[in-house]
Amino acid sequence: MQSTMKESDPILEVENLSASTDNLPILKGVSLTVYPGEIHAIMGRNGCGKSTLSKIIAGHPSYNITNGEIKFLGENINSLEPEERAQSGIFLGFQYPIEIPGVSNLEFLRVSTNARRKFLNKEELDTFDFEELVKEKLEIVKMDHAFLSRSVNQGFSGGEKKRNEILQMALLEPKIAILDETDSGLDIDALRIVASGIKKISNSQTGIILITHYQRLLDEIEPNYVHVMSDGQIIKTGESDLALELEKKGYEWTDNFIKET
Amino acid sequence: MVNENLVKDVVKEPYKYGFVTDIETEKIAKGLNEDIIRLISQKKEEPKYLLDFRLKAFKKWQKMKEPDWSGLGYKKIDYQDIIYYSAPKQKEKISSLNEVDPKLLETFDKLGIPLTEQKKLTNVAVDAVFDSVSIATTFREELAEHGVIFCSISEAVKNHSDLIEKYLGTVVPASDNYFAALNSAVFSDGSFVYIPKGVTCPMDLSSYFRINSGDSGQFERTLIIAEEASSVSYLEGCTAPMFDTNTLHAAVVELIALDDASIKYSTVQNWYAGDEEGIGGIFNFVTKRGKCLGKRSKISWSQVETGSAITWKYPSCLLLGEESIGEFYSVALTNNLQQADTGTKMIHIGPKTKSTIVSKGISAGNSINSYRGLVKMGTKAKGSRNYSQCDSMLIGDQASANTFPYIKSQQPNSEIEHEASTCRISEDQLFYLQSRGIEFEEAVSMMVSGFCRDVFNQLPMEFAAEADKLLALKLEGSVG
Amino acid sequence: MEIIEKIITNKSIDNQTEIQKICLDKLQSSPFPNPKSEQWRLSNKSKFANFLDYSVNEKNSKFDTPFPNISQKNIRLVIGDDCHINLLEENYSIKQLSEDKLVKYIKEQISCFDQNENWSDLLNLSLNCTKNTLGLKISGSEIPPIEIFSHASSNSLNAKTLIIFLEKNCDIDLLQVNLGKEKSSLSQSTFFCLEENSSLNHGVVSYGENKSNLLNSLNVIQSKNSEYNLGSLHFKFNYARFEIRIKQSEGNAKTKIKGMQITKKDEQISTYARIDFNGPNGFLDQINKSLADDKSHAIFEGSIIVPKIAQKTDASQLSRNLLLSNLAQIDTKPQLEIIADDVKCKHGATISQLNEEELFYMRTRGIALTEASKLQLSSYFQEIISFIPVSKDRWDLLDILLNEN
Repeated sequence: MQSTMKESDPILEVENLSASTDNLPILKGVSLTVYPGEIHAIMGRNGCGKSTLSKIIAGHPSYNITNGEIKFLGENINSLEPEERAQSGIFLGFQYPIEIPGVSNLEFLRVSTNARRKFLNKEELDTFDFEELVKEKLEIVKMDHAFLSRSVNQGFSGGEKKRNEILQMALLEPKIAILDETDSGLDIDALRIVASGIKKISNSQTGIILITHYQRLLDEIEPNYVHVMSDGQIIKTGESDLALELEKKGYEWTDNFIKET
Repeated sequence: MVNENLVKDVVKEPYKYGFVTDIETEKIAKGLNEDIIRLISQKKEEPKYLLDFRLKAFKKWQKMKEPDWSGLGYKKIDYQDIIYYSAPKQKEKISSLNEVDPKLLETFDKLGIPLTEQKKLTNVAVDAVFDSVSIATTFREELAEHGVIFCSISEAVKNHSDLIEKYLGTVVPASDNYFAALNSAVFSDGSFVYIPKGVTCPMDLSSYFRINSGDSGQFERTLIIAEEASSVSYLEGCTAPMFDTNTLHAAVVELIALDDASIKYSTVQNWYAGDEEGIGGIFNFVTKRGKCLGKRSKISWSQVETGSAITWKYPSCLLLGEESIGEFYSVALTNNLQQADTGTKMIHIGPKTKSTIVSKGISAGNSINSYRGLVKMGTKAKGSRNYSQCDSMLIGDQASANTFPYIKSQQPNSEIEHEASTCRISEDQLFYLQSRGIEFEEAVSMMVSGFCRDVFNQLPMEFAAEADKLLALKLEGSVG
Repeated sequence: MEIIEKIITNKSIDNQTEIQKICLDKLQSSPFPNPKSEQWRLSNKSKFANFLDYSVNEKNSKFDTPFPNISQKNIRLVIGDDCHINLLEENYSIKQLSEDKLVKYIKEQISCFDQNENWSDLLNLSLNCTKNTLGLKISGSEIPPIEIFSHASSNSLNAKTLIIFLEKNCDIDLLQVNLGKEKSSLSQSTFFCLEENSSLNHGVVSYGENKSNLLNSLNVIQSKNSEYNLGSLHFKFNYARFEIRIKQSEGNAKTKIKGMQITKKDEQISTYARIDFNGPNGFLDQINKSLADDKSHAIFEGSIIVPKIAQKTDASQLSRNLLLSNLAQIDTKPQLEIIADDVKCKHGATISQLNEEELFYMRTRGIALTEASKLQLSSYFQEIISFIPVSKDRWDLLDILLNEN
């Protein structure tokens, strides 16, 4: 699918993936390959399956893979638990980050960071060292230290929740980050903070998939590839100008596309 | 404080259905024994299996004790002082509506249920039951074209005996409870509905129950069967004249929904409630239950309970089929010395079953209004959910509102959520409405109606308007 | 009748006290609670029979205290052991209740007993002897936290009674610990009388060992402007009943209850709570949590009773339940009975398992399922545990519970 020859191995390969929930097919043969340093955008109407794709890559237990496979760094991960995928470097930024009353944000961040560090054979951090690390990362998303003492996402505004997601991404240093509508519900300032955060965290070794409805996030972070999804399939793939064209012509325009293989 | 007297005025309402129709009736002797049961069965020319069904139920009933657990206080019922069969005298066989006694037609006219060809309601088929017998059923031919059977249960016994034998007593067994056993022994008439496979009933079906005699009990029996992928909306209305004695009404309703079938059963119950001192009124002891046998089947109960001296009624759903749905929407308004003990049972047996309960109780005067419900998740009800909401509104400081939800789960992969609250009409809200020029009575009525909105929204159109009017009437009183 | 005979023929009871006589008399007329009554309907019959299986023992064998060392800041009492106390300090006094007052009070209580509702108390008081009864009158301020222990020794049925009068304007923290040794039954009845303006932060921690049983009955009467806070935790009992009866005798009082029961294996633990508002402006905020695992059974039954006199009552009762196994079961029944119109009452109940979306969220951050469950449970427990007035560093209840799980 990709046009240029790649020098390194892909991070993520989704091959002809079909999946269902409650016997209802949601994905109908999706293929997607992400190489290091690439930014992919997936666009499409509500209900086209783009959020489902992200959840399935992250291992959500409500979905069954009925066909195809997901490979991460060359290994099939279809049957890995969500935590194993996260520990090995797959990050999902939630469209609606979950509130977990009673669980302290700081503790949550520390446990998850250490789970990733353990996988990387890095030393686990005690409370003190972790405080240092988190302070540094808070800068990236311009968050106040006070957020750490609250319960996970509880009572956070929409923008605060999204920044908390990016903070987690900064701490976990994933190989690939799938950001599901991270731009939704953000005002223009918050969008800039989040976008610059994403840019700071990513590098030539990481891959990013941005799932979005709108052009405005893509103005901040320019994707190498844009995919349009409809009814559980990728119906068109192009470069960043595809997003602009889509913005101009609307999704009706894509309705006429014949599925490309 | 809201002015107590004003509120009292507001909740007072004359019962406008309290008239008696002067008509010659055929009654059997008072009392209950095997001979009476044989006589009823004989009068209705029933097959042997049905007589056996009745006699077996009677034997069971004799061994049972009248329940006292609900804490309802009422004078002991003398079961030997009741007439178990009472029918207006008419010609043996009625072939058309024109042969129905004009007095009966006039009665139903007065009740707002015209039956004659010229005047009948245009989009609702009506089965009119007067004391122990069904008087007339409208739109029968039109329904028959779609294969829908809508007739009195006595007629169904004669013409659709196989269906009766197959389904009668399968949802509410005769031994289910004291009053169900009594009904099974002596049931007189009621409605029968059969919707064939794949048919959406072309119009709403409706039964109208009228108690006319003061000394006879009413024991109707309703059976609705919805075959695969069929659907029906059924409405039920009830009134009775004002007598200073109590009349017993012990009905049984059984619903059966097969795969993908849906039954919506709505009731507006406005039996005579007795006077302000609690003299007279109907004892309304009813067993209503639906069985969601089929996959994705749905049974929805909605009820507006405003009448009866005592109501004891728990329309329930047995959710057997995978992904079947049970619903219960209820408004119960009690005033003076009325007692209402109502609620539902949602028994989740099959996987992925869902139920919703919305109950609104309004108690005024010295009345007692209780919600009593059971939600049970059985061991196989994986992925099932229930949501219940029970709100009570108290008007005046003599009325009581109780909430008794039983919740039981044996299935970790299921969710039950129950919420209940009690409120009264807030002075701030009243003041706000009044400051916009709305009369006090109007404001109270608006608030009550708003309180019940979630339930009214579930009623069929014609009924919703009637229910709203009924509540407003009960509440507007002198203004009306 | 067996139980009565057991009590009467118990050689260790030499002279029956007046209270014992009254209660035995009541029990003789109907020795067992009606198994069909609401209070006992769900009670496991064979487990209840097991409760009565052990012989009555009023001698206390020495027991190795599993409790943290006493600190200087605490007063520690063990019922049946060295429970004589007479403290007269500058700011406060803790005195033994006089025999007369004690008997008078108990007799008053018995006169309003209901055979089913107060059966546990009737049993307790018929077994009651002076030695295993602790009656205290507490007054003053800046009173050090008090810890009171009851325990049942192996292979025996022990009954302990605690009666406390909290005098006007008095303010204390009190932790009650009920401990069941292996194969034992403990009958604990507690009576609190809170006078005007007094405030009690009460903790109840009950835990057993293998095959231990508990009937724990708590009766609280609150005068006006009193405040009663209860944090309770029951776990590791073959069979346990925690009965809470609170009466705001004149209204105008505050009650907060946060309780939790944890059942595993084939245990059955139930909580019955009845709160009567006998005057206006009462306040109640109650939450009861259950967690049922394995083949166990957890029960909650609550009643809020608001008569006409109790205008402007503000009461809320929540029942939150976690069902963690296919073979476990949970019953809950929060009830409201209201006659007054100007009241704010609500209740709610939920039964579910751990929140799957929350679990998934944590797992996508690399936290293993077991760890994520633990985090969720700890937040579930924390709300209750933080309400129990015990010093955190000495009693690490959360740790105990999480390691149990």
